[in-house]
Amino acid sequence: MNNKKVLLEVKDVDLSFGGLSVLNKVSFDVRGGEILALIGPNGAGKSSILNVITGFYTPNAGQVLLEGKNLVGMSADKIVDKGVVRTFQAAEILFELNVRENVVAASMKEMKLFAGAIGMGWKYGRPSRSGELADQCLELVGLGDVAERSAAQLTAGQQRLLAAARALATGAEILFLDEPGAGLNHIEKELLVNAILRIRKSGVTVVFVEHDLTFVSKLAERIVVLNYGQVLAKGEAEAVRTDPKVIDAYLGNTEINRRRDNRSERSNRRLLTAANLSASHGAVQALEDVSLHVDEGEIVSLIGANGAGKSTLLGCISGRYRPSQGTLEFAGRSLRGIAADKRPGLGIALAPEGRSLFGSLTVEENLMMGYFSQLRRSGLSQLIAPRGEHHRAMLEVMEEVMTFFPKLRQRRHQQAGTLSGGEGQMVNIARALMSRPQLLMLDEPSFGLAPQVTREILESLPDLTRKGVSILIIEQNAKAALQMSDRGYVLVNGSIVAEGQSNALLERADINEAFLGWQESTESEHERVSA
Amino acid sequence: MNRAIAPVAVVLGLVGIYLSGNDYLINLGVVCAIYTIPAIGLGLLFGRCRQISLGHAAFVAIGAYVAAITSNEYGIDPWFSVLLATLTGGLCAWAVGKLMFRLSGHHLAMATLALGMIVHTVLVEWRSVTGGPDGTALINPLVLGSVDLMSDRAFFLLGWGVACLLLLASDNLIRSPFGLGLRVVGESESVASSIGIKPNALKVAAMTISGGLAGLSGALYAYWLGYISPDPFNVAFSLKLLLIVALGGYSGSWRLLVGVFFVVVISEVLKAFGRWDTIIFGLLLIAAMLYPQGWLGGMFDQFRQSRQATAGDKRGELN
Repeated sequence: MNNKKVLLEVKDVDLSFGGLSVLNKVSFDVRGGEILALIGPNGAGKSSILNVITGFYTPNAGQVLLEGKNLVGMSADKIVDKGVVRTFQAAEILFELNVRENVVAASMKEMKLFAGAIGMGWKYGRPSRSGELADQCLELVGLGDVAERSAAQLTAGQQRLLAAARALATGAEILFLDEPGAGLNHIEKELLVNAILRIRKSGVTVVFVEHDLTFVSKLAERIVVLNYGQVLAKGEAEAVRTDPKVIDAYLGNTEINRRRDNRSERSNRRLLTAANLSASHGAVQALEDVSLHVDEGEIVSLIGANGAGKSTLLGCISGRYRPSQGTLEFAGRSLRGIAADKRPGLGIALAPEGRSLFGSLTVEENLMMGYFSQLRRSGLSQLIAPRGEHHRAMLEVMEEVMTFFPKLRQRRHQQAGTLSGGEGQMVNIARALMSRPQLLMLDEPSFGLAPQVTREILESLPDLTRKGVSILIIEQNAKAALQMSDRGYVLVNGSIVAEGQSNALLERADINEAFLGWQESTESEHERVSA
Repeated sequence: MNRAIAPVAVVLGLVGIYLSGNDYLINLGVVCAIYTIPAIGLGLLFGRCRQISLGHAAFVAIGAYVAAITSNEYGIDPWFSVLLATLTGGLCAWAVGKLMFRLSGHHLAMATLALGMIVHTVLVEWRSVTGGPDGTALINPLVLGSVDLMSDRAFFLLGWGVACLLLLASDNLIRSPFGLGLRVVGESESVASSIGIKPNALKVAAMTISGGLAGLSGALYAYWLGYISPDPFNVAFSLKLLLIVALGGYSGSWRLLVGVFFVVVISEVLKAFGRWDTIIFGLLLIAAMLYPQGWLGGMFDQFRQSRQATAGDKRGELN
């Protein structure tokens, strides 16, 4: 496999947005006819490098060489003409077209105005062959039977297959698939694996970005691992898989020093109970029969790979999504029918993933927004100009929150958009705390942060529980999350596969495997060889 | 077969109106033809490519004034002035598109809205050229051989002849690779780029065509009326054109005529309301946006689907 010719070479690519460095001297190559996986934790820069290669981003430095010719600076559609084609994370199917039209649009190439106006558009040249080509591509991915159906009727799995067929129909030589398996169930993933193997067999080189490592091990011959915008490891799949650096990057190598103190004084009163929750996003079943609970003063972590359904679960609790089945109870009260904007008033606060700060507002103003629901309850005029006791109460809470994150006091009048990632995360958490919640939910607080910053933030959390706050935390950085929490749940493909005391979970060796999903690799290896 | 039903029905209806000899109906018919031509272009731009132009009246006005001025001042042959008006409308739209499509978002809507106001102001203020608010009369009539085309009857034939040809071409275009490209760009520009379609090139092309057709319609309007003033080319006119496209199910094809007839008839009714018609057309446009298939167009689709469904059932029974 090693002697395959290098088809595409990524050389020292640097990319930054504003002051934030996203890619740092990324180099790897793609060899003709192989299947290459691009993996790495959330925010590692996988989609960014894909966007650079396919012309959607322009890098600050570096080259992308296709058989020696530099692609950097070419427009996206020009790069498609060179045979380098991508799909999108969300499949991006065109729902107003039917399945076949989706693919024909990619294969027609020529769009002559005059010929079209006199009804000869499909008669000559490339468009005359585009229908046939589209059918071949649909056949290849196994969608031949649904070609005439409206694209809006496809299942999530079929949408990914259609996106692949569409990309192929452009005459792709290298196909970049961005998280093709995200949100799909086992059967759908199996179909996708087979389709990708067929695509490779037809002579197309496949590069895919993926979080599901089971999926990766079924397909990839070589793997490139990105972490914090740098190449952490690359090489034969076998070697990369056993590389301790890679395992660390996935489970998180942040050591949290402050273990939980003795919790003898903790009450056992249930704060939040979720029973048999199911939820779906359109055609994707995101949660299936999930039950969990959070006691008062407890830190509970929810770990699992990207797309496992963690954010959806938080969304159900915060009221953003409506579960299709199951019940939610908070402090003895059912949450059914309570709108999302009323839930902070009940004591549920969410610090969302990606921070979602109001960038043009100052830190102080961002925190005031966190107090909005309290102010609103004390009358509409308070929103125009907070005053009197309500104003004092707000300042009091702000004072409390700033005592908790002293760094924010210095940054009080700074625009939130100019903060560093770690400070931004502190504002995000502090803003959630402004509503004096009983339950604080944190969605990926370590997202995009360096290890030492992550540690600083995570280590501050146990102090909150002493003030009577319970915490439900979602983390990819599984090790750190378990170290700082009392109990943990492991979510895989929308279902809980393990739960228990964090210490116990940390010591169970199979959790790493369940989480990483390497465990099926050996059997599928055989499948692939024999296939 | 099915493709022929709409055009044949339209042509039969038009022949019926013509033969009825009713002057009022024929006059309305000419107005309809004059609305149909820019609506076809806007159907491609707004209906297919999903780019909103809020100042399409400006391109119609440009066409009308270019035709009037070149024929009055420079003695250019009226037919040639119509061609010049079409080209100028297209050129202006091309320039606006070229500038605006560098940006994403609703910039085109804002830019065309501003363009509409600027053009209107120029027409009113630049008295030496446009005749100011009083407008200008066209000295030379449009003549075919020795037939003066200025009567409603003659113009009915000319206007609808042009409109039907353009509808035919637009219908073809929508079904062609070009039309498929427009739909792809209209739904997702990033997908278009990812499959090798240049979104900006197609958007500029659609913009140019629609500007050209608006210019053509303006020129025909000027010759039909024999007199133009800035007043008709106002925001209400631009709104009416958008409403036509929305009511016609964003199709840019024969279905547009549903919107054209509706809007022209409503305009007649609303004449009593004077200036308030802008508000009423705005409200109608909002209502039309709520039913993206178009009112009548949507019903037609439902009817066809239910028929197909029953036909499918029957086939099932036979097996």
